[in-house]
Amino acid sequence: MSKILNIAWKELYITYTDRSLLLVMIVTPLALATIIGSAFSGMVGGGGNDIPVQNIPTAIVNLDAPTEFNGQTFSMGQTLVDLFTPSGDAAQDADNVLLALTDAAILSDAEAARAGVDDGTYSAAIIIPANFSQSLTVTQDNLSLNVAPVEVYTSRAAPVSASIIKAVTENIVSQFVTGGVTVAATIGELVERAQEDVGFGLQFAVGSANWQPDFAPAFTPDSQPITISQQTVSRQVATFNPLVAFGAAQALFFMIFTAIQSANSLLYERRDGTLQRLIASPTSRLTILLGKLLGALANCVVQVALLFFFLNIVGIVLSGRMQIIWGDNLLLVAAVIFAGSLAACGIGAVVTAIARTPEQVNIVGGLIAMFFGLFSGAFFDLRSLGDLAILGRATPNYWAVDAFTQLSLGQTAITTNLLVLLVIGAVTFVIGLGLFERRLNV
Amino acid sequence: MQNGKNGTLVEVRDLAKTFKGKNGKDVAAVKGVSLDIRQGEIFSLLGPNGAGKTTTISMISGLLAPTRGDARIGGYSITRQGIDAKKLIGVVPQEIALYPTLTARQNLEFFGRMYSMGGAELTKRVDEVLDFIDLTDRQHDKIETFSGGMKRRVNIGVGLLHKPRLLYMDEPTVGIDPQNRRRVLDTVKRLQSEQGMTVLYTSHLMEEVQEISDRIAIIDHGQIIAGGTLGELIQQIGEEDRIFLKVGAAAISEAQLAQLRRSVEGVTKATHDRREIKGEDDAVVDVDGVITVLAKRGRKALPPLLQAAEEADITVLSVEVREPDLEAVFLHLTGRALRD
Ligand SMILES: Nc1ncnc2c1ncn2[C@@H]1O[C@H](COP(=O)(O)OP(=O)(O)O)[C@@H](O)[C@H]1O
Ligand SMILES: [Mg+2]
Repeated sequence: MSKILNIAWKELYITYTDRSLLLVMIVTPLALATIIGSAFSGMVGGGGNDIPVQNIPTAIVNLDAPTEFNGQTFSMGQTLVDLFTPSGDAAQDADNVLLALTDAAILSDAEAARAGVDDGTYSAAIIIPANFSQSLTVTQDNLSLNVAPVEVYTSRAAPVSASIIKAVTENIVSQFVTGGVTVAATIGELVERAQEDVGFGLQFAVGSANWQPDFAPAFTPDSQPITISQQTVSRQVATFNPLVAFGAAQALFFMIFTAIQSANSLLYERRDGTLQRLIASPTSRLTILLGKLLGALANCVVQVALLFFFLNIVGIVLSGRMQIIWGDNLLLVAAVIFAGSLAACGIGAVVTAIARTPEQVNIVGGLIAMFFGLFSGAFFDLRSLGDLAILGRATPNYWAVDAFTQLSLGQTAITTNLLVLLVIGAVTFVIGLGLFERRLNV
Repeated sequence: MQNGKNGTLVEVRDLAKTFKGKNGKDVAAVKGVSLDIRQGEIFSLLGPNGAGKTTTISMISGLLAPTRGDARIGGYSITRQGIDAKKLIGVVPQEIALYPTLTARQNLEFFGRMYSMGGAELTKRVDEVLDFIDLTDRQHDKIETFSGGMKRRVNIGVGLLHKPRLLYMDEPTVGIDPQNRRRVLDTVKRLQSEQGMTVLYTSHLMEEVQEISDRIAIIDHGQIIAGGTLGELIQQIGEEDRIFLKVGAAAISEAQLAQLRRSVEGVTKATHDRREIKGEDDAVVDVDGVITVLAKRGRKALPPLLQAAEEADITVLSVEVREPDLEAVFLHLTGRALRD
């Protein structure tokens, strides 16, 4: 074990004491992400508002049937729709983040909405199920909530926009469930809203009288007053930062190079004779390979971690606000960095094990990194790729960038992403190790 | 640890390696080599380029799996107890095998840890090795800033770190200047005399093999064609001296050579070689002719030989007598010069 660490540490040391390598690994992606990122926020611009993405074309289909409760009619689906398509003064509200974020169209047919997503008209379709209100209604007999899932049908051609819509929707629905939902942050706004919106006014009126006590057991165990708050939504969206999507994409793109180069160093070591020296020492081939691959993994993890750290500083400088642009759950961010690096190193190991010469690895590795970069949206909007965009899902970049974007939006449902990355990593690692061990015997 | 009989440290038995060639043709690089290397001796494997020296060393250091045969190092089979065998071996590869962006000390420390050394023991040992290879003052400089000779010394130093009982040195003097070559040879002799190290040394240069070796095996086309001490090898070919008669461009007939053989006692062989010296545009500007005569006790045979030459109408321009050496042994055994 200490020999594995010895080799891995040597890899890390050699990599991070090489100034020209650092230029490529850290400075270049940082510069690219900063330029693209700030250009993007500049385009969106507008009164210090740091929401980078706006007017995401979104279709909303409300299939929800109002439900009766305590003699009142509730239409939670409509409430959700209203959040995306406010009317009256609320529609003019410059601070209404949701309004700026989306360009929502109300459709009646779910199939039409999905087709619209498929043909690129919308980035996402929010489809509210027929029994949504009912599933949110808690009676004394039915205290366990089984919320009918709101479907967010997303475009694979616009992964960033789509994941924002998904995140926002899930966030709102989860607030419905935990009872933290209303339309305004303050009582004043609530009242205002109630005056405009008859349906809501009714709910509000009833709610202020007898809604809260009845809902309290299921919705809010701590009996917090129900507050429907755009504030929460707004806060979530505000943390979305172009540096996250572009920075993560650039970091991943350059990390793939590092992974492949680190694995390739095994072929260079063989050419230089240092590998033979390692094999001539009383060390098993497996130990040597594990050391090299652990070194590659460490190179990648450190690179992405450093890039994220510096991107965060750039984010602070650009926004003038102390913040962590990667979201609150740094543990999960670290997990995704690890899983993404593992997948990249595994792929690097396989490429290196198959290639004959280190030069071949350079060429093939470059192509792979390019392919991964292109199809994960590191360089251009995937919508221009049409159906080909699905190829992005074959890249670790897509799953990692998607996970980072979601995490930055406060979403922690990234199990699939982690699983995909870990599976890619484990499978390629094992294949790479097997192929390599056989090659070292020649 | 067990040793073989008679203080034998290395036993190589019928070791063979066949590579798969590019065009599907098999390359038999080593064809059944057997050797014994005794504790504390400098054993040389002498052979021309491509003879199979590196392939042999690679197999007995556990880098290459033999196609056939086995070797035991201190009793451990290199194929079945590789890790134990490797602990006894230090390897100095033919090419410089170091990390250029690490310092001399970092290289030594890194490889030391691969031999499970660490802590104060490693620090002390690295100090000793640096002192031995005379690079203490440059220990914190990166290898890439070193001269060729200095790199060679570090290359050797890495092989010495774990105090191996046996050191493999594969053509350590190739491509370095005479001064550094001298230094390497002195180092090998010091390792033997000061540390009792057993050394397996390979070379295609007979002078250095002759100088440092206790015993020698001559390898050609993947096979050991002769072995023993220098004296034993020379005895094998009958202790003949070689006399070179330079004759310039003159044509020498077989009849003239026969006359030389006949008229001088002790001459076993007389052959004539012409070497054309070409100038620009490949035109022959001169011809260098040499008659090589093999004779027992060459100095005694010289006066009658010169007389016979005169009688045979051969004009001798200059004369050189060479006492039997490894070059002669190789020539005798293969009919080729070692350098070819
Ligand atoms: N990996 C290999 N694949 C194919 N042929 C090889 C390989 N290594 C060595 N050879 C061949 O084996 C023969 C012996 O080579 P080598 O052991 O390097 O000789 P030496 O060290 O005595 O110069 C040569 O003909 C060489 O071309
Ligand atoms: Mg060789």
